[in-house]
Amino acid sequence: MWVGVPIIFSGFFLGSFYALIALGFSLILGTGRAFNLAHGEMILLSGYLAFTLWQYFQAPFFWILLICSLVLMWLTIPLHFLLRRLPEPYGLNTLMVTLGLALLLQNLLLACFSADYRLLQPDWPAAAIPGLDMRFPWQQVLLIILALLATAAVHLVLQHTFLGKALRATIQDREAAQMAGINVNRMALAAFGLGGLLIGLAGPLFAQNMYLYPAAGVEATMIAIVVTIFAGLGRTRNILLGGWLLGLAQSAAVFTLGSKWRELVGAALLLLLLYFRPEGISLKKENG
Amino acid sequence: MGKFHYSWLLTAAAVLLLAGWPLLFPDAVHFQQVLGLTCLYATLALAWNIYALSGAISLGHAAFFGLGAYASALLNHYCHWSPLLAMPLGALASVAFAVFWNWGFQRLRGVYLGLASLAALEIPKTVVDNWDRLTYGSMGLVGLDRLPVLALGSFEVDFGLNLQAQYYLLLGVMLLAAAVHRQSIRSRWGWTLRAIRENETAAQGLGVATHRERGRALLLSAYLAGVSGGLYAHIMGLVEPALVFNLHLSVLPLVFSLFGGSKMVWGPVLGAFILYPLEQLLLMPLFPMGHSALYGLVIILTIFFFPRGIAAWLPANRKPA
Repeated sequence: MWVGVPIIFSGFFLGSFYALIALGFSLILGTGRAFNLAHGEMILLSGYLAFTLWQYFQAPFFWILLICSLVLMWLTIPLHFLLRRLPEPYGLNTLMVTLGLALLLQNLLLACFSADYRLLQPDWPAAAIPGLDMRFPWQQVLLIILALLATAAVHLVLQHTFLGKALRATIQDREAAQMAGINVNRMALAAFGLGGLLIGLAGPLFAQNMYLYPAAGVEATMIAIVVTIFAGLGRTRNILLGGWLLGLAQSAAVFTLGSKWRELVGAALLLLLLYFRPEGISLKKENG
Repeated sequence: MGKFHYSWLLTAAAVLLLAGWPLLFPDAVHFQQVLGLTCLYATLALAWNIYALSGAISLGHAAFFGLGAYASALLNHYCHWSPLLAMPLGALASVAFAVFWNWGFQRLRGVYLGLASLAALEIPKTVVDNWDRLTYGSMGLVGLDRLPVLALGSFEVDFGLNLQAQYYLLLGVMLLAAAVHRQSIRSRWGWTLRAIRENETAAQGLGVATHRERGRALLLSAYLAGVSGGLYAHIMGLVEPALVFNLHLSVLPLVFSLFGGSKMVWGPVLGAFILYPLEQLLLMPLFPMGHSALYGLVIILTIFFFPRGIAAWLPANRKPA
């Protein structure tokens, strides 16, 4: 079999998940103007919650997904009210506060679950694709389906509902949206809620497909940042594209150079993006 | 003028206290070790703060720390240079990285500079991790020379094994860094940095070469961070990528400076001497896992409740510098 097939499959798989991770980050950043450096840690929190539910309560996976999404949503909304009280420079202050939050969460997870690697592993059979000599674990298939469904759902909400229109207006120009009678604070609240749902959804999938350990969040945050800066704010299709490209680049690097180079791919892409687009993702030029 | 004398008196008393207590308690070895490391991290925090004086929040100072540590360790391992020579020269590796940083990030400000610096940490980390033939990869370098023995006639001081002597050495380095930091705030150049921080366009209009001056601050900051990295390598006797290129080392100086007061002459030192012993001596025995949560909590509380840091509460610092 051609060597490119596993690269493409694993890139597609990783990329779909990256898009899901970046989606929540991008919504929160775009509408709430908050750089959430604790994004990865919150996904881990949801992952550990899923792991606990599976390990100690033998909850079925559907219920795990539902509970994690709702719990994380109700944890993200207070974050909105907390961050709203920050003084200017707003972007930098949210960056530092969420960095503190990330550190706090990471150490709480370390204290509760120790530094061991955990994996949520239901014994599902592997799925075979007719005609190809490859077998995929069901977890991966489920992840791809759910990630694409969530992306499609967010895309539909943003493009075809009134709430989505208001959210996009807030992302594009806060002042003009306010003048048009949109309550931007309520929009930020909605974005945090939606972002929390997405974080909660990503957690159990993370726990199923990648190993959970307290320091894993930093990489997830980095991925969210890279994809968001690549895509621009509020552009769901670009996020999907960016996720796939990053996934492909990473799996190509892993297959050709070795797994130790994977983390550099995201970092190098971020540096390149920032070098060529120093104003980052803002549509207007402004002082972060 | 009265205030001026007062703050000098306070400084002198604090230095005397820091220099005097090991003489009163020569057997408190654990305290000497922890406070020695406090001085080391205070040096790192002072280094970080020199760059922060120009308005930049860096999340990548672990890169400078780690490069200084690795350069010094490699010089010691392959060329058998004494740590006394390897540390100051090894820190030039950090300066080289700072030159690259200054060129690559020249158009970035604020949040995006922070994000870029976070990503920049991955470059030296991954390179060191994968360059097995030179750096032994993730195994790290072990068996480095400890800090040397200083002999003056029959009088010998072993900086490597005698923790009291080591404490004094680290205290001395920290005071040197504090003097540099003080000059960076009080001198004419300090006003340049302040102008860049408060309003870059206006500073440019007044004829400040903002890019060059910010670059200078970064190089100085990187050099000091590199020296503290070199000291760390020879105190521990080993370096590993996961140990010295750790994000934790980028966060520590940020927490110390922010908590202490990043615009105050003694802010970073104050922050380090309150938080690090608190974490190591009090929280570590209570919570063997997760005691670093303190730093996360401190960042959040500081930004919400006293963004100018606790040094702002000292009577001499009531007005912002």
